[in-house]
Amino acid sequence: MSRDAILRADAVHKHYGDLEVLRGVTFEVGRGEVKVIIGPSGSGKSTLLRCLALLEEPDAGQVSLEGRRPGRGEVGMVFQRFNLFQNMTALGNVMIGLTEVRRLPKREAREQATEFLARVGLKDKAGQYPDELSGGQQQRVAIARALVMRPQAMLFDEPTSALDVELVREVLDVMEQLANEGMTMVVVSHELRFAHHVASSILMMDEGVVIEEAPPEQFFSAPEHERTRRFLALVE
Amino acid sequence: MVASFDTHVFWEALSSGPYWKGALLALGLTVASISVAIVIGFLLALGRSSRLRAVRGFVFFYNWLFRATPTLLQLLFIWDALPQLWPVFAGSWFTPFLAAFVALSLNEAAYMSEIIRAGLLSVDPGQELAGRALGMSRRQILRRVIVPQSIRIIIPPTGNEFITLLKLTSLASVISVHELLTAANEQASVAFKFAEVYGAALVYYLAMVSVLMLLQSRLERRFTFTSAGRRRRVAAPAVPAVSHDAR
Repeated sequence: MSRDAILRADAVHKHYGDLEVLRGVTFEVGRGEVKVIIGPSGSGKSTLLRCLALLEEPDAGQVSLEGRRPGRGEVGMVFQRFNLFQNMTALGNVMIGLTEVRRLPKREAREQATEFLARVGLKDKAGQYPDELSGGQQQRVAIARALVMRPQAMLFDEPTSALDVELVREVLDVMEQLANEGMTMVVVSHELRFAHHVASSILMMDEGVVIEEAPPEQFFSAPEHERTRRFLALVE
Repeated sequence: MVASFDTHVFWEALSSGPYWKGALLALGLTVASISVAIVIGFLLALGRSSRLRAVRGFVFFYNWLFRATPTLLQLLFIWDALPQLWPVFAGSWFTPFLAAFVALSLNEAAYMSEIIRAGLLSVDPGQELAGRALGMSRRQILRRVIVPQSIRIIIPPTGNEFITLLKLTSLASVISVHELLTAANEQASVAFKFAEVYGAALVYYLAMVSVLMLLQSRLERRFTFTSAGRRRRVAAPAVPAVSHDAR
């Protein structure tokens, strides 16, 4: 256990009816670390992220942020399908957490939101509605919406898998920049080049447990498990 | 040419006080009833997905009761039977207008609850998830995200309801509310000029509904979420047609 673990999952179990999706997942992320989770569909990756974001309550086990239960907006979440609020402009999407959850005055919220839209390169799209933005732009707005809450950690649930190939890069660039700035991140993604390049370590999940965790070099060159080898062969 | 149509009588009827008053009364009754029905209907729609079984049961019972019985019968029940059952309703404060308002509101709420429920369900569940991830409360998500998005879906069938209700106010003539149809009937029985006086009433209904339709299309544009949407007309999403003209 590293000294500066910030986000922890402790023996997390989750089932839906008879289906056991998570069967005792334990892992931790240190401050500034980027952990990439890979694994076949149905292995529990998304459910794990939802438990970390407290969108799902674990049936057993615990999720903690700096040793306590995460507060509202302290763990940011980015979804595969962006999930931008359709009835708000890009700026409105980034402002709403500040006005509703942080109770900031409108003017101040607008200033901060504009600043964060600029950080993801979309200052000029502030007045556009989600329907008028490309997938890549929508996902960058979604990242800004989560970041503006000043989260302790960011979770990404397959952030590029709903995107056209040529739009993947702009989202990964923003994520890489974020990692370089020292953001603590957990990323479910099969963008192996990104994982290789940015991740502190890579986790392989299968059937509701983490079966392997290793730094990228080791993970890709000498995976421990046969299951990991087979999966990597399929993805690459 | 039509055999006999006294244009003078027609214009006379069109501009007469009882018509104006009758039309205003019908419109007032409709606006008041649908407003209350939307509020009750919204609560009923929320109750449908309540965790409490008793609440879900009540909503089911309410919708069943008010949709399975004729509106005219509900109107007569509230006006004639309530005072018999509870003397408090026998007082002079319980006017025909008030009785019609109560009956039509309660009746319409049952229909509105289904419309509003369909609207709320039409919003992508990912929207609520995103709100929760930001730390918004259920109430905040409902008010700022789900309700505004469902309004677009709710408007067209609500326009239908408004029109149906406007015409249903003519039922209130049976409990002596002096709405538009009552005014026309009274004039007809005096002058025996049916074509003229009923024709004038038709014009009133057509005019009121036309104004409503104009307001509806403006409202739809207001709730279309594109920056161009406020200028350009966007095709409405498919909404199941509900027909209940024989209420």
